[in-house]
Amino acid sequence: MSRTRRHFTRFLFLAGFLLSHTRVPLHARQAPSRDIAVVINSNVPVDNLTFVELRRVVLGDKQYWETNLRVTLLLRAPVARERDIVLQKVYEMTESQFRQYWIGKVFRAEVAAGPKIVNSTDASIGLLSSVPGSIAFIDSAQVPKNFKILRIDGKLPGQDGYPLR
Amino acid sequence: MLNEPKCRIVSALGLALGKLESSEGKFAWPKQRNKRFKEPEMWSSSLLLCLLLQNGTTPLVQDLLARIEALEKRVAELEQEKKTAAAAPAAEPVTPPQTPPASAGGHQAGAATIPQEGGLPEYPSLHMTGFTDLNFSASDQRGTHSGFNEGQFTLHFVSALSPKVNFFGEVSLTARPDAGIGSPAPPGFNAEVERSIVRFDQSDRFKVSFGRYHTPINWWNTAYHHGQWLQTTVSRPEMIQFGGSFLPVHFVGALVEGSVPAGSLNLNYNVGLGNGRSSALSRAGDAGDVNNNRAWLANLSVRPDKLYGLQIGGAVYHDRLNLTSVQNFKEWITSGHIVWNRENPEIIAEFSNVTHKDYSGILATANSQAFYVQSAYRLPFNARVWKPYYRFEYIHIPRSDVPFRNVPNLSGSVLGMRYDLSEFAALKFEYRRQRRAPGEPSVNVGFIQTSFTF
Repeated sequence: MSRTRRHFTRFLFLAGFLLSHTRVPLHARQAPSRDIAVVINSNVPVDNLTFVELRRVVLGDKQYWETNLRVTLLLRAPVARERDIVLQKVYEMTESQFRQYWIGKVFRAEVAAGPKIVNSTDASIGLLSSVPGSIAFIDSAQVPKNFKILRIDGKLPGQDGYPLR
Repeated sequence: MLNEPKCRIVSALGLALGKLESSEGKFAWPKQRNKRFKEPEMWSSSLLLCLLLQNGTTPLVQDLLARIEALEKRVAELEQEKKTAAAAPAAEPVTPPQTPPASAGGHQAGAATIPQEGGLPEYPSLHMTGFTDLNFSASDQRGTHSGFNEGQFTLHFVSALSPKVNFFGEVSLTARPDAGIGSPAPPGFNAEVERSIVRFDQSDRFKVSFGRYHTPINWWNTAYHHGQWLQTTVSRPEMIQFGGSFLPVHFVGALVEGSVPAGSLNLNYNVGLGNGRSSALSRAGDAGDVNNNRAWLANLSVRPDKLYGLQIGGAVYHDRLNLTSVQNFKEWITSGHIVWNRENPEIIAEFSNVTHKDYSGILATANSQAFYVQSAYRLPFNARVWKPYYRFEYIHIPRSDVPFRNVPNLSGSVLGMRYDLSEFAALKFEYRRQRRAPGEPSVNVGFIQTSFTF
C-alpha cells in the first residue's frame, strides 16, 4: 500500500470517528417530519370528518359522500410515507393485511374495486383535480394552495392532536 | 455508532479522490494531473472537510444530506414498485393520465371509476380474480383413502357497468369423484355459477340487487365464499359446508342492503326475497321455486366504531319446504354471530337454530341447532407468517326432524396452523377429530392444503 493510500485510510477513519461523535444528530438537521393532509376534490361538500368517519372511508364502508357522489380513494404505492401513515394510523394493518382486506372486500361484492394506487404526489394531485369525489393523502407541505384540505376531528395538519403524523 | 449518511459522504469523497489517482498511483486534481498531491495539503484539506462535516451547519453539507435522503427514498420507491409489479399486479402503480391507476382490491389493474382520458370513465370494465387450492388428506376412517385432491377452482368477476351499477360473478369448477364412470360418462369437473349479481347503488344506505347469492344468514358464508385462501382454516364449518343441507348456502332472488352510521354503531342490513330451497335441500331454486311461497330473509349487524374489528349480528330466514307432494314444512332459521377479525386474536362464533313445522300438523315441531367457535392468533414480529388456530363445532339434529333426517350430528375439533408463503399464498396444516354420535368412535383426519389467489 502506498504512503498516500495509508494517509487516505487514516483520513477516512478520522472523518468517520468525528462524524460518529457529532453532537447534533442527523435527523435534527433535516426538515421536521410533516403531517399528512387529507385532501379532497373541490366538489365534495365536506370540510371536516371525524377520525372514525375517515376510517369508514378508507375501509370502503362509506362509498358515497352525502350528495351520493362516489368516493374514489387514492392511495400511494408501497414505501411512500403517506401510505405507511394511513396503514398504521387509520387501517391499523400491515401491508399484507391491507391487501387481504381489499381482496376480501371485493370478493364479498361489497365494493367493485379497491383504492386506486398512485405512485407520486403529482399523480395524486392530478387525479384529485379530475376525479369527482376523490380523496387522497398528501404530505401537507406539498398540497397546492387551491386544494381543499379536510379537518380531521376539527384539526388541520400542523395543529396539536392532528392524527395523521 | 457511525452515522450512516455521513459515512457515505466520506466514502463518496474517498471514491472521488480515488478516481483522481493517476496511472502512476499518485493523487492528482483533474486539472493538475502533472502535479503530485502534497501530503500536508491533503491533511489540511481533510481536516477542513472533517470540521465542515462535524459542524454540519454548512448549507452545502445539508443540501448534500437532503439530496442523498431524497435519492435513497426514490430508489427505494422504484425498487419496491418493480418488486410489487412482478409479485402483485393488484398494486401496480401507474401514473396517470396515460393509464388509469391500479386498484388494491383483487388483482385488477385499473378501475372503471377512474377517468381514462379527458375525465371520462370507461364502462364496462371487467376484472377477474381466481382462487384455488390443492389438498392432501389422510384419515383413520374405514373405507377412506389417503391422497391428494384438487380443491375448487374459482373465478371471480367484477364489472362496473356504470358509476352506480356493478356486476359480480363467481364460477367454480369442482372435481367429481365419479368422473368417467357410467354412461354417459360424467366429466372430470362440475361447473357451477356460484354467484351472479347485478347491483344498483343509490347510496350507502340503499342498494338493490338481483341474482344468485350466498345466503346472508351466516357470516362465514358471505365472508369467504369459495375463496379458501381468505379463510384461516382448511375447511369451512360443517353447518355451512358446500353441498350441505343444514343452512341454505345459496339464494336466488332480490336483495336490498345498506348501512347507516346509527350513532357510532354502523348498522348494516340485508332484506331479501327469493326462491327457497329446492326439493333437494342442498340446492337453491335456480330454475324456479318448488312452490308459490317465496323465501325471505332479514339480516342486521353492527360494527361499533369504538371496537374496531368487532361485528355482531343476527338473521332470520323463512321458507316453505316441499320435500314431496305430501310432505310440506314451514322452515324458520334464526342465527347470530360475533366476530373479532383483527387477527390478534381472531375470534368467530356463530349459532343457528332451524325449526321445521309440519303443515299437516301430524309431526311434532323439530328444532335443530348448530354452532362453532373458532379462534386464531397471528404470531408477532418475525413469526407473523404463522397463525395457529382452533375450532370447536357442534351440530345436533333430533330424530323428529324429518327434513334433516340425512343430516348427521357432529361434535368435533379442528386444530391447525396457517403459514403464509407469500402475500397471496398460504400453506395450512390441520388436524380434525370428529364424532358423529355419542358412543360412536371418533374419526381423525389430517390435512395439508395450499391455497392461493391469482
